[in-house]
Amino acid sequence: MMRTFKAFAVIAAMIVMAACSNQQEAAAPATTTVTPGSVADFRQNVGDRVFFDTDMSVIREDGRQTLNRQAEWLKKYTQYQITIEGHCDERGTREYNFALGERRANAAKQYLVAQGIPAARIKTISFGKENPDPPGSDEAAWARNRRDVTALQ
Amino acid sequence: MAAFERQLSSAMKFFRSSLLAIALVLPTAAGAQRLDPVYVEDRFNQLQQSITMLTGQIEQLQYRNQQLQQQLEKMQADYEYRLDQMEKGRGGGPRPGGGAKAAAPAPSPAPPPSAAAGGNADQLYHDAMKKLQDGDNAGAERGFKAFLQSHSRHALAGNAQYWLGESYYARRNYQNAMTAFAEGYKTYKASPKGPDNLLKLGITLAVLGRKADACQVFAKFSQDYPRATDLQKRRVDQERRKNGCG
Amino acid sequence: MMLPRRSTILGGAALAAGAAAVPARAQLTIDMTRPTFEPVPIAIVDFAGDRVGADIANVVRNDLQNSGLFRSLPPSSFIQRDVNASTPPRFPEWRQIGAAGVVVGQVGQAGGNIKVDFRLWDVVVGQQAAGLSFTSQPANWRRLAHIIADAIYKRVTGEEGYFDTRIAYVAESGPGNARVKRIAIMDQDGANNRYITDGRTLAVTPRFSPTLQEIVYMAFGENRSTPPRVYLQNVDSGRRELLGNFPGMSFAPRFSPDGTKVVMSIAADGRTNIYEMDVRGRAQRQLTNSSAIDTSPCFSNDGTQIVFNSDRGGSQQLYVMSASGGGERRISFGEGRYATPVWSPRGDWIAFTKISGGSFGIGVMRTDGGGERMLASGFLVEGPTWAPNGRVLAYFRQQPSSAGRTGAVTLHQVDITGRFERQIPTPTDASDPAWSPLIPQ
Repeated sequence: MMRTFKAFAVIAAMIVMAACSNQQEAAAPATTTVTPGSVADFRQNVGDRVFFDTDMSVIREDGRQTLNRQAEWLKKYTQYQITIEGHCDERGTREYNFALGERRANAAKQYLVAQGIPAARIKTISFGKENPDPPGSDEAAWARNRRDVTALQ
Repeated sequence: MAAFERQLSSAMKFFRSSLLAIALVLPTAAGAQRLDPVYVEDRFNQLQQSITMLTGQIEQLQYRNQQLQQQLEKMQADYEYRLDQMEKGRGGGPRPGGGAKAAAPAPSPAPPPSAAAGGNADQLYHDAMKKLQDGDNAGAERGFKAFLQSHSRHALAGNAQYWLGESYYARRNYQNAMTAFAEGYKTYKASPKGPDNLLKLGITLAVLGRKADACQVFAKFSQDYPRATDLQKRRVDQERRKNGCG
Repeated sequence: MMLPRRSTILGGAALAAGAAAVPARAQLTIDMTRPTFEPVPIAIVDFAGDRVGADIANVVRNDLQNSGLFRSLPPSSFIQRDVNASTPPRFPEWRQIGAAGVVVGQVGQAGGNIKVDFRLWDVVVGQQAAGLSFTSQPANWRRLAHIIADAIYKRVTGEEGYFDTRIAYVAESGPGNARVKRIAIMDQDGANNRYITDGRTLAVTPRFSPTLQEIVYMAFGENRSTPPRVYLQNVDSGRRELLGNFPGMSFAPRFSPDGTKVVMSIAADGRTNIYEMDVRGRAQRQLTNSSAIDTSPCFSNDGTQIVFNSDRGGSQQLYVMSASGGGERRISFGEGRYATPVWSPRGDWIAFTKISGGSFGIGVMRTDGGGERMLASGFLVEGPTWAPNGRVLAYFRQQPSSAGRTGAVTLHQVDITGRFERQIPTPTDASDPAWSPLIPQ
């Protein structure tokens, strides 16, 4: 009985360690296991979302870094079209948020176009406040919801 | 204003596209940093924000301007009335009813403010009024009583007396309501609220079961206030019928 | 008391009895504009003659009680048990239980239809205050009950009733990150709930045409990268069509009072402007041209003006313009952001959502922007809609979500004084209420 328990504990520890090393690998682009040029590559190593301040559609400095990486990647993998989805937090009215999401998506589009990505490769869409990720009613959730998500096609 | 905004908007669109065109055609020209498309986009966004801010400020200023204009017209009407009264040798009291042609109709039962008395009295009155509207009857009653004690000859005293009665009435304190309305009718007979005081006195008497007295009061109404509003007159007729007055 | 507009409905005819005008009386009348008033105590006796009589009486009781202006006395307190529709009740026995009015009714057969006579007796003066007769198919008994409740409401308040109406809304279900939102329509009291869209794609902001035959709403496409658009759908046949052919996304639709036009927002290139669309001819016209967000347009009751929401001045505010575009002027100048303006069907007020200091409120202002009053507030309240009498509003309320649990979303109503607020029960979570006009007869 006691021996079985010990064995379990060892296995559990090994699983935890494996999980840790996986995370480290994901964070280091050089040793990534995802295929370069894949959707997973884009999400993990480039970053598919940029975040906004309350009621704003100006791309922040952290967002510019992400969009710069997106532009480089898209120039390399020209087979992809993209749709930029604009989203809002729940602290606005439904109809206005559809418009604000569109404005946010368009802000990222203009930035990518300025970086040399042809406008014809970029579609925009707004989900307003209808698609929270993560759902939640605190500032942390709202900050994650005020976002653009770049989806590859 | 809208036309101004539209013009700016189309000018901005043109500005953006021409700047972007220059930036894309001359990527390696001297001072390329200045014509970097990202830089152009930034400048465009900044200008856009400035326009938005200015639009908001213009709207606010127009609004304030309009309010000042209304206030001015109101004051002018008051001055003209007082001058007119002085010329006729009747002293220069404030114009009854505040008389602001340009002023919008008041949303609440608050009477028009008087320009004659000091800010302190007006403040007292309006504080009490606010309490009444907020449902704080006890506070409103204290407020109106304080106002009446220190400013019994103020242009709004008749109104204060009336609203004091209304507050009691709303709380079903009909004895006090009766006293307040009676006082309002007796002391401030010529006030704009005179007819209301008398009407409400009758209604309160009827509620207290003193129908004969109520009928007498209603009879007095048409004698004292032949120029009351149609609404008030209709209400009196209604009350007379209801209480079986002869 | 005659109600000519109602007297011919559903093939019915007004009762001759009680036609003489009865003067207004304090006890069986109510002035909604007074700062204080007590709900009118009213006794509604089960209608005699048919089993459905008790159901009709229940619907009438429920309608009147829910208006906040009436107190429906419990039938168990009634002393007179042998009251009938053809003879006056024994008034002292009703006075004794504190009733100001008594409603009695009789259900009869008329060639496959049901015929309902009802009378409202003024207990205080001992006279009939209203009396009407209606004929209808048996299946429509609920509508008959609502029409009777409307007649009582009108007799007592002097305002048109709003009980014979429907509410369209968005039925919500599922977790916050995969929410199903479908359009539903129910009677004003929650009965006859049915779903108009299947929930495969997200559909929001339903609005009725003046005849209630059609609704407009915004729905997403099956493909996630297809922009959402405005659809026009026939309520009975379910047939739906895309409204307009615009490059960007279209949303925030609303019918003109005569039903010939729909106004909506079109977003493209980061700009959102207001467009008008002719429902039959499909001609489309741009009404605003700003580089900002212009949305939530709503016609004035007479169709000559449009109120909308714009952030052209830096924050969301309300603006009014001519219905043909132009002459735009800002009307809201208070603290905070203003959104979703809706013009009262009576033309006296504009209701709106206000976001200020971290909380949401529902308020009204006069059409020139003056006289602002807040009627309800909370963590998130949004989307007012007027009952056809312009004296009651519905809106929705959302509770905060926490620990992965989506906060409840519920419909509510409030009267224009803000005194009486109640939840409108729905089978699921619900948002975006749209109150219909009175059902055409």
